[in-house]
Amino acid sequence: MINLRIYNFIKILKNVERIIFQNMFGGPPKELALAYVNDKRTPEHVKKLSIRDIIGDGILLAVPKFRRTVEKRWKRKYGSPEYVWKMLVPKNNIKVCSECGHHHESGRLCGNCYKKVEMETNEIKEKIQEKLAKTPIDKDVIVLYEGENLPDQPNEFWKGKRIIEMKKERPQWFSRNLLQKSTQQPSTSTDVKPTDLA
Amino acid sequence: MNQADVTKLVSKLRIPVHPERRKLRNPKGPEGRIDKLRKTVTGLIKYERIELNYNRADEARQYAERLISEAIQHGDCHKPTMDIADYWLLEKELVHKLFKVLVPRYENLNSCYTNLLKAPRPQNTRNIEKVVLELKGNPYPPLRNKQSNNKLLIQNVLLDAAKYEYRQSKYAEIADKIGKGETTVDNNQKEKVTEKPSQS
Repeated sequence: MINLRIYNFIKILKNVERIIFQNMFGGPPKELALAYVNDKRTPEHVKKLSIRDIIGDGILLAVPKFRRTVEKRWKRKYGSPEYVWKMLVPKNNIKVCSECGHHHESGRLCGNCYKKVEMETNEIKEKIQEKLAKTPIDKDVIVLYEGENLPDQPNEFWKGKRIIEMKKERPQWFSRNLLQKSTQQPSTSTDVKPTDLA
Repeated sequence: MNQADVTKLVSKLRIPVHPERRKLRNPKGPEGRIDKLRKTVTGLIKYERIELNYNRADEARQYAERLISEAIQHGDCHKPTMDIADYWLLEKELVHKLFKVLVPRYENLNSCYTNLLKAPRPQNTRNIEKVVLELKGNPYPPLRNKQSNNKLLIQNVLLDAAKYEYRQSKYAEIADKIGKGETTVDNNQKEKVTEKPSQS
């Protein structure tokens, strides 16, 4: 305790001495000052690192933050059997067309046959529209191909019919009876094909 | 029982109507939907065979069937039927066709007036269900050739004859076998009969 008090007292004395001397004589004489270089610089304003410093004028693409799970990757790749299954699956509903022998899905029209029919249908359609145009349609339509006569029927049968003539021969597959020719005529061209070339 | 048969008073569709709704989205809403169907029905009556998406075809088919059945039932002197025809057929020359061509054509038909067949699905494309909608009795080549089922087709006639011949030859063979078999059975029985007393 005593030591502490003495120490405090001395401290106060020193302070008083310092204040009096500094006020009266302006501090210690300058001749006694220590000569040294001041290393302590004033602290500069440190700039924080920004993303702009790295990319500059460029652009930054978004990148994934987390790894995708195996399940998600596989579902994306192969699909899900309950919803959309992306793997190739064999079709079990293929049938052979009894007319042309091409394959088609069961319950559907044969693609090969339908193509022919569609083309012929469109041709006939055009012809009919050309002929009927905008007149009131009050007669049924009969399609006749080149070289065909009206089938044997009483005249009354043909009375209310409009006849559309197609300027070509009837296609083989579009025949009404078995007596229609079903094979090609021998060709009349006299061109000779080269043989034994190899 | 002097009551009228109700089913004959109301025209009934002769085609199956599926309970699921057919999606026909249109920015104009129900109005636009009906407009679309009117166009389709008009096209069907005009061209007699059209190819289109399943939903639209299935929906339009019902209206077309109803229109034709009304026309057959009431004729062209019936004001409401005429109004319906006027509404559903956008091209007015088709009204004549409905009453003068289609009604006589289908008067005595006991089945439906249209066919709806599934068109072949092209490979490597989006799976849009396409169908072919056609009026029966059209002048175009038939979509389903049933020549293979035709009994009068020359191949079928020949095959039938061959089958008949084969069957006859088989029958003869069987008859021969039975005849021979009977004689052998008889011989065995005789032998057994002769053997039996010696054993006893």
